[in-house]
Amino acid sequence: MSRARAIYLVARREILERGRSRAFLISLVLTVVFLVAGIFLPKLLGGEDQAHKLGVVGTPPAGFEQALTATAGQAQLKVNVESVPDVATGEARLNEGTLDGMLVVPAEPGGSAEFVVKKRDNSAFAQVVGSAWSAASASQVLTDAGIDPATVAAASRPPTLRELEPSDANRDTAFLFANVGVIILFIAIFTFGTWVLTGVVEEKQSRVVEVVLSTVQARDLLVGKVLGIGLLGLVQLVIIIVFGLTIGTVSGRFSLPPTTGAAVAMLLLWFGIGYTFYSTALGVLGALASRMEEASNASSPVSILASLSYVFALLVAIQNPDGVAARIATFLPPVSPMIVPLRAALGAIEPWEVALAVVINLATIWLLLEFGGRVYSGAVLQTGGRMKLRDAWRAARR
Amino acid sequence: MLEIKDLSKRYGDVVALDGASFTARPGRIVGFLGPNGAGKTTTMRCIFGLATPDRGETLWHGQPIDRVTRLRFGYMPEQRGLYPRMRVGEQLSYFAQHHGMPAKEANAATSRWLARLGLADRERDKLEALSHGNQQRVQLGAALVHDPELLVLDEPFSGLDPIGIATMTEILRERAAAGVGVVFSSHQLDLVEDVCEDVVIIARGRIAANGPIDELRAASGRRHLEVEVEGAGASWLDGRGGATIVEQKGDFVRLLVPVDADLSGLLAAASAAGPVRRFAFQPPALSELFMEAVQS
Repeated sequence: MSRARAIYLVARREILERGRSRAFLISLVLTVVFLVAGIFLPKLLGGEDQAHKLGVVGTPPAGFEQALTATAGQAQLKVNVESVPDVATGEARLNEGTLDGMLVVPAEPGGSAEFVVKKRDNSAFAQVVGSAWSAASASQVLTDAGIDPATVAAASRPPTLRELEPSDANRDTAFLFANVGVIILFIAIFTFGTWVLTGVVEEKQSRVVEVVLSTVQARDLLVGKVLGIGLLGLVQLVIIIVFGLTIGTVSGRFSLPPTTGAAVAMLLLWFGIGYTFYSTALGVLGALASRMEEASNASSPVSILASLSYVFALLVAIQNPDGVAARIATFLPPVSPMIVPLRAALGAIEPWEVALAVVINLATIWLLLEFGGRVYSGAVLQTGGRMKLRDAWRAARR
Repeated sequence: MLEIKDLSKRYGDVVALDGASFTARPGRIVGFLGPNGAGKTTTMRCIFGLATPDRGETLWHGQPIDRVTRLRFGYMPEQRGLYPRMRVGEQLSYFAQHHGMPAKEANAATSRWLARLGLADRERDKLEALSHGNQQRVQLGAALVHDPELLVLDEPFSGLDPIGIATMTEILRERAAAGVGVVFSSHQLDLVEDVCEDVVIIARGRIAANGPIDELRAASGRRHLEVEVEGAGASWLDGRGGATIVEQKGDFVRLLVPVDADLSGLLAAASAAGPVRRFAFQPPALSELFMEAVQS
């Protein structure tokens, strides 16, 4: 029997045993819940730019809606206009919250218009409606006075906006993707890395490892375990991403920028790399522990490293994705799995940087398997207390 | 044939094995005996590559034992352990496949062995749902399911009830009859005497005695003499023939005598003291051979 088949058997057992376990299903449901909350919570909390609803009583001057759209656009607001039969109805709807403002058009041209709100808390909206009204009614008066409507329109047109740094329509979505992407990546890497850790300790604690190792080489057992659990993680990640993008799009929360495919591919690639790195390290450290209670202690160096990387990604790199710190972190294996997809989602990384980071990470994983595989095989049969890294290394010396 | 050649292994300052050598022939049941810490488990771990000897080698049919050879061996470690939450049937099939059986064959062998072990109706239960004794049976199943050429069992009888012991004995005999090499360690010497043809006694990392039990007993320099003389107690003995009293119950005495003791003289002395009800000359029991080998 080949070593490849032994690895396959180990991986297959992990997939079958864990794939139908309650823990897997629960972690899947929980992650989806977090995801939905992450996408919709900002909207529910009201911090989002929704369309303002303006009710109009009476007939506004001809150019009003056009002027409103123009001024609202400049203030980056969206205003929907509907007509309301009378002031009483409008006030009732303001009170129940189905209108944000009501414009009462004077019966006579030149009369004084009235803008009614429930509470004066949105000055930008009031300004937009106010200036649109002033412009439209002035135009009306001028046009009625016989001045060429085209001249009036030209004169009342607001100045065009010119940006020195043009804003990208997809930038907000990219930012959201980068943010959510790093969170999902961290959770996924850590969840499934911990599975490898506990799996190793369980095998050691239940002593089954001695039976398994009478036919399977220690390193192959570790590789099979990492592989099997990793495939489960990948499946879960794909489900989550597809689910997240679908509800996000269908609900109109965001529209997919053309870079979506590349961003998702990047996320999956770096899950693969980051998970393999962290789960292998956790598995090796787990072998040093004899009981589950010692596992978290034994694995704390790696857990701390992962958490620091995550915090660095979310606090530093996301603010300044092409700064020096983020550029250096791109090539440091513990951090790069979170930095590279983040910088890529923000469009702030060069292809060569991605390629180099991949090469460095793969080389590191290879070293980790060489070094860690030996520590693992030296430690996994030792019982009775937590083992030191150096003793495990020596125990495996051939 | 299993050959252990000059195995030596140190763990730090502790010498676990110090040039141990012995052989075990297929079709024979070999009892591997020794006090705690004598090197039994380390020897077994060396056979399965779980410990690497500092010196010496292990051979199967004249070839060094490697990973591929080991696939044809069955192992039951002293520290029992299986996957607690895995179903019994899937578990045995998993181990059979690790020994190189294709999935289909492994499943068939699993059903066959579970039936043989009286666990046919537990195939779909998780291991942890089984009683301790039944978990032991599954553990034995894991060592047997792939029809190994060599069975190495570390303390297979420990923790078994009489019925479990009978089942285990029957299976070991049946496997040996089928030409399988069987090596097991045990501290239950009466059981070993009953089950084994050969024994290997290890002490302080070295082999102290080794061979068929009958030959070892015959080769011993000592014999047991059991004598019962009505109404005489042990008075007739009177320091005769280098005999020492091991046990005395009323008129019954059990003596330890040299193999060349003057039996006629002893019998004459006994007859002179009164009517002789019993006069039996026997080689020593395995437990005595063991003590002798271990203490020398």
